[in-house]
Parts: sequence; C-alpha cells; structure tokens
Amino acid sequence: MPEITAALLDLAEDACAREPIRVPGAIQPHGALFVIDPATGRILQAAIGDETLAHLRPPDVQRLPDLLPPEFGHLFNNLPERLKSDLPVYLGHAGISPYHHHVHAHRSGDAWIVEFEAAHNDDGADFSAIYPNIREFIDALEGFVTIEQCTALTARHVRRIAKLDRVMVYRFDKDWNGEVVAEDRNERLPSYLGLRFPASDLPPQARELYRRNRLRLIVDANYKPALLEPELNPLTGEPVDLGFATLRSVSPVHLQYMRNMGTMASMSISLVVDGRLWGLVSCHNSSPVNVPYHVRTACDFIGQILSMQIDARETTRMAERRNGLRKIQTRLLASMAAADHFILGLIENASDLMALTNATGVAVVAAGSCTLRGVTPAEDDVMRIVAWLARSGCDVLHTHHLADQMPQADSFKNEASGLLAISISQIHESFVLWFRREVIHTVEWGGEPRKQPVMVDGAPKLNPRASFNSWQETVRLTSEPWHRAEIDAAADLRTAIVDIVLRKAEELAVLSERLMRTNKELEAFSYSVSHDLRAPFRHIVGYAQLLKKYEGEKLSDRGLRYLATIIESALSAGTLVDDLLSFSQIGRTALTPVTVDMNVLVREVIASLTVEQDAHKVDWRIEELTSIRADPVMIRLVMQNLIENALKFSRQREPAVIEIGCRKSPEEIQFSVGDNGVGFDMAYVGKLFGVFQRLHRVEEFEGTGIGLANVKRIVDRHGGRIWAESAPGEGATFFFTLPASCAA
Amino acid sequence: MADLKPILLVEDSPKDIELTLAALEQCQLANAVVIARDGAEALDFLHARGRFEGRPSGDPAVVLLDLKLPKVDGLEVLEHIKGDPSLRQTPVVMLTSSREEQDLVRSYSLGVNAFVVKPVGFEQFFEAIRDLGMFWAVLNEPPPRIFQKVVQ
Repeated sequence: MPEITAALLDLAEDACAREPIRVPGAIQPHGALFVIDPATGRILQAAIGDETLAHLRPPDVQRLPDLLPPEFGHLFNNLPERLKSDLPVYLGHAGISPYHHHVHAHRSGDAWIVEFEAAHNDDGADFSAIYPNIREFIDALEGFVTIEQCTALTARHVRRIAKLDRVMVYRFDKDWNGEVVAEDRNERLPSYLGLRFPASDLPPQARELYRRNRLRLIVDANYKPALLEPELNPLTGEPVDLGFATLRSVSPVHLQYMRNMGTMASMSISLVVDGRLWGLVSCHNSSPVNVPYHVRTACDFIGQILSMQIDARETTRMAERRNGLRKIQTRLLASMAAADHFILGLIENASDLMALTNATGVAVVAAGSCTLRGVTPAEDDVMRIVAWLARSGCDVLHTHHLADQMPQADSFKNEASGLLAISISQIHESFVLWFRREVIHTVEWGGEPRKQPVMVDGAPKLNPRASFNSWQETVRLTSEPWHRAEIDAAADLRTAIVDIVLRKAEELAVLSERLMRTNKELEAFSYSVSHDLRAPFRHIVGYAQLLKKYEGEKLSDRGLRYLATIIESALSAGTLVDDLLSFSQIGRTALTPVTVDMNVLVREVIASLTVEQDAHKVDWRIEELTSIRADPVMIRLVMQNLIENALKFSRQREPAVIEIGCRKSPEEIQFSVGDNGVGFDMAYVGKLFGVFQRLHRVEEFEGTGIGLANVKRIVDRHGGRIWAESAPGEGATFFFTLPASCAA
Repeated sequence: MADLKPILLVEDSPKDIELTLAALEQCQLANAVVIARDGAEALDFLHARGRFEGRPSGDPAVVLLDLKLPKVDGLEVLEHIKGDPSLRQTPVVMLTSSREEQDLVRSYSLGVNAFVVKPVGFEQFFEAIRDLGMFWAVLNEPPPRIFQKVVQ
C-alpha cells in the first residue's frame, strides 16, 4: 500500500463528498416506490422491494389509479393540489389484504413519487401511548433552563416513544465536527456520550440533505436494495432525485459504517436552528426494526420542539450576553468621552475593556505608544503582532488559535493563544488587542478522527471507520473560542472609536482655525502692548528721574526713598513688558540656522555678562564645545540666560564655580551649565520652565521669571529637550540637547 | 553759532517731547530743536511750507523720528526723505517703542541711519540721545553710510 499522505486523504474525502446520495437509483426493500408523470398519471419508473406488492409491478400496472383497489381510490384525490409544495404528504393507510401499507407522495422535479411502506397491524394501538409521552416531554421542557437539560430530556423521551436501544443527541461545532451531548440507552449498545466525531463522518451533501429532509430511516443495515426500473426517467433521461423519499436507499459506505458500529437499524431526526443544521437526534437499534410511521412523526415533532427551544434559548442567552456587554460598552464610551484623549479613557478603564470580550489581557497600541494591561505578551511581541495585523489589513480579526496563523506565535502561547483585534485608525497602526491564554484540553474522539483510506486499483477509497473506541487527543496552543457576542462587541467598540476619532478630527479642525485667529489677535495685542503699555512706564521713570535730578536736594531722605521706589517699580514693570514681548517673539520668529561655534559664543556671552561684575570671583571650567547648526540669536539667548542664572545664583559663593560641558551621542548633542550656587528643591522642578515661575524671593534674586521659559521655547523649537538637576544649597546643573541633525 | 543746523524732533506725545528736550538740554547742545507733532508737519518743515513757510533755509542736522505718528507715520516720512534727492543726505534716527517695531523698520530697509529703542530708564535714554545728538549735531560730519546703535 502506498504511503498515505494528507493529499491522498483529501482525495478520498472528495470522492466521498461526490457520492450521489440523492440519486441512489434504488430503495430499501420494505416497500415500493413509483415515479409518476403528473400530466398523464402514467407510471414512469418503479422499485418494488416488498414482495407483497409484487403484483404492482409494471407492465401489470400502467397508471396511478391502478396502484390501489377502487375502495382506496379516494387517497389520490386532489393530488395535484396537495403536491404543490416540495414537502411529502401522507396520503393514508391502505389495507391490501393481507397486508397494510402507509402511502406517501411527494414531488421530485417534474415527477410525482408515490411510496408504499409496509405497516404493522398494531401500529394504531401504540398511538394512545405516544400522546401522554409528548405531553410529559413538553411539561418537563418548560422547567429546564439549559440546552444540555433539554437535549437530555429529548433523548429520554424519543427512546421511550421509539423503543430503540440507544438515542443520542449530536451537536455540530462550527467545523462540523459532531459531539454527543446527550444519550439515553440500554445495555445492548455502548455509550458514545461525550465523544466527538469528525466532520468527515457526515459529508457536506449529506448535511445539506439532512437540513432539508428532517427524518431518515434505515430499517436493516443488511438490506438488499430494490432497484428502480428503468434506471432513468424515460421523460427526462435523468436519474430521479430521491432526496425526500422515505424508502431512499443509502450509500454502501454508510451501511458499512453502521455495521461497524454494531447497529442494524437507525433513525435520525435533524435539529435545524435558524436555518442551520444544529445537530441530530440519532437513534440506533442493535437489531433491524422499522419504526412505525406515526412513531416517527411523534419523534420528529419532539425534534422540532427541541429545535425551537434551542433557538429560543440561544437567542435569549445571546441577548443576555449582549445586554451585559452593552452595559460595559456604555461605561467605556462614557470614560472615553470624558478623557482628554479617548485612548486614555480606554486604558483607565482596562478592567471593563477586558470584560467586554472576556479577555485575560489587553493591549492598546496607538500613536506609537503601547499600553499593556492584564496578562499579555511582552511589548516587543505585541508590536510584532501589530506588524502582522497591519499586513493582514483586517478591521476586526479573531482567532482562538493564533499559532496556527502567525509565525512564532507559540512563543507567547501562555499569554496569547487567542487574539481578538480591532484596527482603530486607517492612517496609523493603531489597534486594540485582546488576548486569551492557552487552555490545554483533551478531546475524546469516537475513533481516530481521520479515516484510513485504502487503495483500491491504485485510487484511494474511503473506508468507513472500523473502530469507535474513544481516542484521546490533547489540544494545545488554543484558547477558549471567542463568542459571537464578544466579537460583535469588539466590532461595535471599533465603530464607536472610529466615530470618536472622526468627531475629534472635526473638532480639531475647528479648534485650529480658532487658534489661528486667536494667534493673529495675540500678535496685534502684543504689538499694541509693546507700544502703548511701555510708554507710560517710560514716562514715569523719566519724570521721576528728572524730579530727582532737579528737585532731589529739596526732598527728605524718606522722600528720596519713595522716589527711588517709584523709579525701581516702573523700571521693573517696563522690563517685564519687554521680557513678555521677547517671549512671544521667540515663539513666532522664523529660525535661521547657521553654523555656530559654541566656544566663541560662550566666550562672548561671558565677556558681556562679566563687564560690570564686581570683585565676585568665578572659577570658570569650560570644556571644548562642539559647533552646531542653529539660530545664532536664539542660541545666544539660551546660553546667556543659563550663564546669567549660574552667575546670579552662585554669587554668594567664594569662589563661584561654573562648569560648561558638552557631550555628543549618535542621537543628540548635549550641553550643560552647572554652578555651585543655592540650587533649588527638585520638588518644584516642574515649575522651572513656566512663564513667571520663580523659585526664589525677588529680594534675594532679581528677575521676571521669564528667562527659562524663553530658553525652553528656543530648545523646543530646535527639536531638543531641556531639564535640570539640583538640590537646595548644592548648586544646579541645566542640560539641554539638540537633535543630531543640528551637528555642524 | 548761527550756522548750527537745527534738530528736527518728530514726536506726537507731549511727555516724550518734554523728556527728549530734557535729554537734549542735558547734553548742552546748542542746536535749536524744531518740533513737529506729526508726519505731515515734519514734511512741511523739510519742504519749508505751511506753518514753516519762509523758515531759514537749510536741512536739519538730524531728524529724530518717532515711528508711530498721526496722519503720516514715521515710515512714510522716512520713505519720503530717502526718496527725495535733495533730502537724502539728512541723517534720520528712528525712535521706536520696542524692538518689535525696530524689526518692522529694519524690514523696510529704507536706509535709516540709526535706531533707538526708547529705553524705559531715562538715564539710558539720555545717554542714547546724547550719543546720537553729539554725533550728528555737534560734530556735524558727513554721516557714515549706516550707523546702528541700539540702546536697550
């Protein structure tokens, strides 16, 4: 036997999927089937399994009315009317001595199909026993809450009514693997409760048939099919579709499957919820048995009630879940709306954010920053996931088996085997990612999930499994799957965020327009301040100084002191106006970068500052400084302010020590100015660079409190950073950097 | 001393006039000081018309010109002086209220001879006026092409 490869296996399954189960060209032999031309009533094809109906075999019988003795002719009344829909119709019960038959009819394409099914004489007697059973089933069902309880009840009642050895309720997952979720049985057949059966056990075309035709019956797995004669419909030249025929013959593979399972008879009822095949009520008997027509009908009825209950309960459960999630979402939206930036609102409310999808961890990646909460992979790994997501281009992505999709994702399986992600910006790579940890679990398969194909004439042929012994599989690298409601909640959040972002962008546009207008007004204002506010101060100082000069001798000491205070106050007010103007100017003036030799610049600044210096001795320690490209006027202002401050705050030291340094890294150029002066408390460092912020009393150290604000503005405009380190009484060092692009 | 040319002070604020005159007085300059209260009057003086019709001939030693003036402002006066071949040689010192204004004037590049940002302190103002006045009024030499002293 050649090596069985996955490709071969696929081929075999494909062959199985193609098996023409709807046109078997044969029936099970416990009855007879006729294909009739509705226009003429002529019999086109016939399959007669039941020897009691052998006399109905063409050419003895040519037309529909000939099928029954005259006293049963009324069964065929109104047939065209009754067969308008595709659904099978029960025509009645006909006793063709010494036997009884149930007669069904349905439409198949352009033809009618009439079936005779052997009936037992005592069929009617059981009916009185069925009704109380159904009553009891419905009463009990009302008291049950969970779907698990309902399915168990269904298994019990179907078995009680149908009197079979084993009744299982079988549920499909989204990949069509089936799991036995409820079972009722006697000792003749083994238990399959909890076992899973692979999707390949029920090929797609069978699932589609089961969805449409709710009930199937196999009376004896060892039956010999009765063939339709002729093989093809003489009117169409095609085989006839027996999908809805009660007597339909099934695939030999299926019969083998049944024999392997040790079951000689079976009945299965489809559970269709919301148009999808949700599961099956699968009944088996160890010996051949024909479940009477009215019993089957009752079982079908129970199946339908169960389907409706499942639908109702799943809808309710979903609604409750959605309701809970909606409350969380409302809280999240409120906190996003209240926050300065909606991202902060999300992060501050991380527990709700995780609860929204029942995640064990969450990451918010936006505007280049990554915030992690709960159990998450490391930031590097999160960024790798983000890069992978960005390539995928999905708005909403969910998987409970990330390692299956993303390379190397198994390295963080403990934190993130499951991923639910939403993209929250089209422009930037911004995402909210929810994680679920790995949950290792064991699946009990009913036999190995992959059937072993056997090679027949060099082609793979699918053999039904021989073993149904439970076969354990340990499933790793997966998390709990994401529930539909959770995925929807994440998608809703995405919509809300995108709305917020859009709204914010609009607000921002309005704001920036208003800001531009305000800026213009401010410029006009500062111009008028410069001109009109400055003049009165100038006049006060001018007249006071003239008064002092010409009339000073006539004034008392107190008068002179008052005059000095007037002059000093007006002068400082004037200086304040000047400083304010320079501050606003620094923000507005365009930068003109040129190459600046910082050694020369510092020398000049020191010379200008120490001209009027008193005897105060300064020990200057200046390193070799690098040249830079920057606006020369502004950089001079920076150095002048920092050195002026260093001189000012160290003037009580003898000697004052002022160190000016320079350091270069690949990213930036750093300058520092340090002194051994009075220093400041680092608790106030946040105020250092604000306008009009002073950390010392004005009597101790003069100044308007605007110098460092200017310095920071200039450094900011050059793309650098500024900070300071100090302690009271231990001097202060100011550092500023310029980006490497400013290197000369 | 009759040949001393007058100084033309163009200034609208009476207080600034008084303070400027006090500063000039302290410099002990012998030049006469002619006061024009707006740009139109300044042009009238320069062209010996209107109120100044029939004044003694000759250009002023220096024009101390405030920037912000009623009717015709300082820049327009400056533009006129520098655009008139007969007046072009007259030195003009712009008095500005702030450095902001100084930049404005500079941007016009109209050939001003000097800037003075009126300082808040009178002492500094006095020094500035003295330096400028002495330079052009007393020494009365042909002015250099451009002389900038910015007193802050």
